[in-house]
Amino acid sequence: MRVWMLELRLLLRARPTVVAVLLLTLLSAAAVTGGMAEVSHQRAAIARIASAQAEDVGAIAKWVNEKKDPGSAAYYTFHATWDAPSPLAFAALGMRDVAPFIQRVRALGLEAQIYDGDNFNPELALPGRFDWSFVLVFLMPLFVIVLFHDLSSGEREAGRARTLAAVPGGIAPVLRRRTALRLGAILLAAVLPFAVGAALSGAQPLPVSAAIGLAAAYALFWVGAAALVSRLRWSSTANAATLAAAWLVLVLVLVLVVPTFANVAIARAVPVAQGAEIALAQREQVNRAWDIPREETMRRFYAGHPRLADSAPLPTGFHYKWYFAFHQVGDEGVAGRVAAYRAGLERRGAAADALGLVLPSVGVQAALTRLARTDLEAQLAFQDRVRAYHRRLRDFYYGYLFYDRPFGTADFARAPRFGGIADD
Amino acid sequence: MSATRLIARDELRLMARNRVAVVAVLLILVLTLVAVLTAWSHQRDLAELRQRQQAAATAAFEAQPDRHPHRVVHYGQFLFRPLGALAAFDPGVDAFTGSSMFAEGHRQNTANFGDVRQGSLLTRFGQLTPAFVLQSVAPLLLIFLGFGAVVRETERGTLRSLLVGGAARGEVVRGKALALGLVAALVGLPAMAGLALIAGQAGVQALPVAAIALGYALYLALWVALVVLVSVLARRSRDALLVLLLAWAVTVVLVPRAAPEMAGRAIPLANRLETDVGVARDLRRVGDSHNPADPTFAAFKARTLARYGVARVEDLPVNYKGLLAVEGERITSRLFDRYAAAGFAAQERQNAAVAAAGLLSPAVAIRQLSMAAAGTNFAGHRRFLDQAEAYRFALVQKLNRLEADAVSYADDTAEDPGADRRKRVDAHHWTEMPRFAFAGPDGAELARGAVPGLSLLAGWLAAAVAALWFATRRLGVR
Repeated sequence: MRVWMLELRLLLRARPTVVAVLLLTLLSAAAVTGGMAEVSHQRAAIARIASAQAEDVGAIAKWVNEKKDPGSAAYYTFHATWDAPSPLAFAALGMRDVAPFIQRVRALGLEAQIYDGDNFNPELALPGRFDWSFVLVFLMPLFVIVLFHDLSSGEREAGRARTLAAVPGGIAPVLRRRTALRLGAILLAAVLPFAVGAALSGAQPLPVSAAIGLAAAYALFWVGAAALVSRLRWSSTANAATLAAAWLVLVLVLVLVVPTFANVAIARAVPVAQGAEIALAQREQVNRAWDIPREETMRRFYAGHPRLADSAPLPTGFHYKWYFAFHQVGDEGVAGRVAAYRAGLERRGAAADALGLVLPSVGVQAALTRLARTDLEAQLAFQDRVRAYHRRLRDFYYGYLFYDRPFGTADFARAPRFGGIADD
Repeated sequence: MSATRLIARDELRLMARNRVAVVAVLLILVLTLVAVLTAWSHQRDLAELRQRQQAAATAAFEAQPDRHPHRVVHYGQFLFRPLGALAAFDPGVDAFTGSSMFAEGHRQNTANFGDVRQGSLLTRFGQLTPAFVLQSVAPLLLIFLGFGAVVRETERGTLRSLLVGGAARGEVVRGKALALGLVAALVGLPAMAGLALIAGQAGVQALPVAAIALGYALYLALWVALVVLVSVLARRSRDALLVLLLAWAVTVVLVPRAAPEMAGRAIPLANRLETDVGVARDLRRVGDSHNPADPTFAAFKARTLARYGVARVEDLPVNYKGLLAVEGERITSRLFDRYAAAGFAAQERQNAAVAAAGLLSPAVAIRQLSMAAAGTNFAGHRRFLDQAEAYRFALVQKLNRLEADAVSYADDTAEDPGADRRKRVDAHHWTEMPRFAFAGPDGAELARGAVPGLSLLAGWLAAAVAALWFATRRLGVR
């Protein structure tokens, strides 16, 4: 124990080390604070939905109530959906800044709505978020350099290596103790603010400990890399400086260059041009309905929705049930493309995850965004929930539309609400 | 041969003997080459894809059968943002903004299908482009090769012998700077060659290309000056390296991320739901088209009847429903514009706040400059949004006018079995509608966008050179 205390005192006396550890703590705390501010901003935006929606829907209800036309209600009423941040979202904001977490949908064709984005400033999103995962993945390795680059070479240069090697047990235990202490200091600096943030956010212990375990494993990886590089002893001219410089290239290559390169490779290997094509094809399907016999549309619609087939035949004039039917048929007409697009996106995500297995920086980022539910998978899961909710919306309005039931103010309140198990 | 050149030659010879240095230089050259090629082919693929999709969308629009003009208002038109050639050098926000927009009546849609939502998490690590290599990687190489340039001599005492040998301090420092500057030029060369190739394509103007080249020359020169400055000031090689690494981490990695974070927090942006609800609220206030007794539309009706000197809308020589559509679109579009302008203003304030961080980090300055000159910054995207909205409005109003002129009011309001046929207008009208043609910015406009960044970088360089000059005078005096 006394040797440990001695080493600790030595560590605390090395000013650059203390400064580095303090700086890392500060950066980690700033990232956690920023992430939590962003998450609370998002929560506040979600909390404001109810009043905004009440105002908007209330105004529609007021004029719809006069004629009680369910078609107008279904056509004009937007319904809100949202993707509340998980308790760990503050640590890795992932795609939450570029993908919408609030989306309004109508009972009309969903494929023309579901890809809509929210307002965001692309120039702010471009450099990436300053969140805890960034501090961990990008900055922590640099601090490992600062603390580990001269672990053994420093002793060599100071001329103490021989003396240390001569003491019983040799230099190895000394270096092991120092490695452990410095690793502990770095980890503590990086993880402590995160742990505090997680506790304040009410995160579950399991994902929190998983994130901490990831951080430890990632730090160990870099310490291991440092140990490997110092093993090389890099000929006699090598000193701490070239050593550090040389393996800085390693950090850079692993953290900056390979992921960017892989991004290009994945984008090429898995092309997804279908996004805009879905929108175009869906529009063709929907608008074609005006140029073909209306009964044809209804036949196709009823084939997919036999429960509604006992609805009265269409009148000569316009009827909203036909309008909503062709929107639905339009969606169904592009289902194949939608599935292919979705599969492409999932393949891209899988390719990135596979890269994460060999590239620690990517792996940690992927795992953190997964734990925080802010990754592509979470975005797609939100879309699934919106789809499920949209189905409920359609069913709700169809019940009025196809049986010409009047739609009054009270019925607006009966519309299905987003959230709950039904949409999962 | 002057002492400066001798010293520079010696320094270069030393670097050439350092295997790690040579490998690093070769690596970055290869990396730049790969970046140029991939970014260029990516840009061309995207540009072609969007061109093809735009052509397909236009063809589909013009191939519509006889339709009621209002159907066509809802059929709408897909607009694709063309990608300029310089996006191959610096794609900027292209991946973060949607590349296609649906223009239809009564609604202002978002630009959708941006790569960032269609890509893996890797998009957020950055994109491998020539701009990225020069902004982030090249400074590191210069640090790596140059941190010891002067401090090495100080540490080993060889500086003294150099000075005793008759070299002036200034000559030593200039020699070292010259050597490192040559390395910087070598490292920048492939990217600049790539830029020249990209610039050789049709439609690329010289002025923004020159601004980009000048910007990166200033940026790399600044790093050369900074590296030599730290090397002059430091007592030990290790300190020089650590200080420079810290400077790199702060200016290239940290500030570019932290500044937008703070700007976003300080200047809020209304989300889409709030905007849409706000538009709807204002719309009810201005005039509620669902309310037959609404004063705005009642006044419009009275005005229209008076203008034509008739008592009933049925007696108008034009279709009142078309006129009403024109008026309604005018009112909603004015509101859209107001909300959009507020959103743009907030985003521009955010971007200005980030640009101010260029005072703290030259990397922020070069990023802004590079994107601005390449036309791939927010302003470039806004140019598309503005033109798309102008096009949307013009198209919708043209169709509404068509409804007013080519469809009779009696037909338009009829509901008998044959009414649908009578409401339709001939398909040839669709080919007469305007086509969306994005008017790219002219070179002077793009280059103007680069001026703030250029001045910031020039200021940085001047300060670094001045500091170097002062530091040099005290070199070896300890």
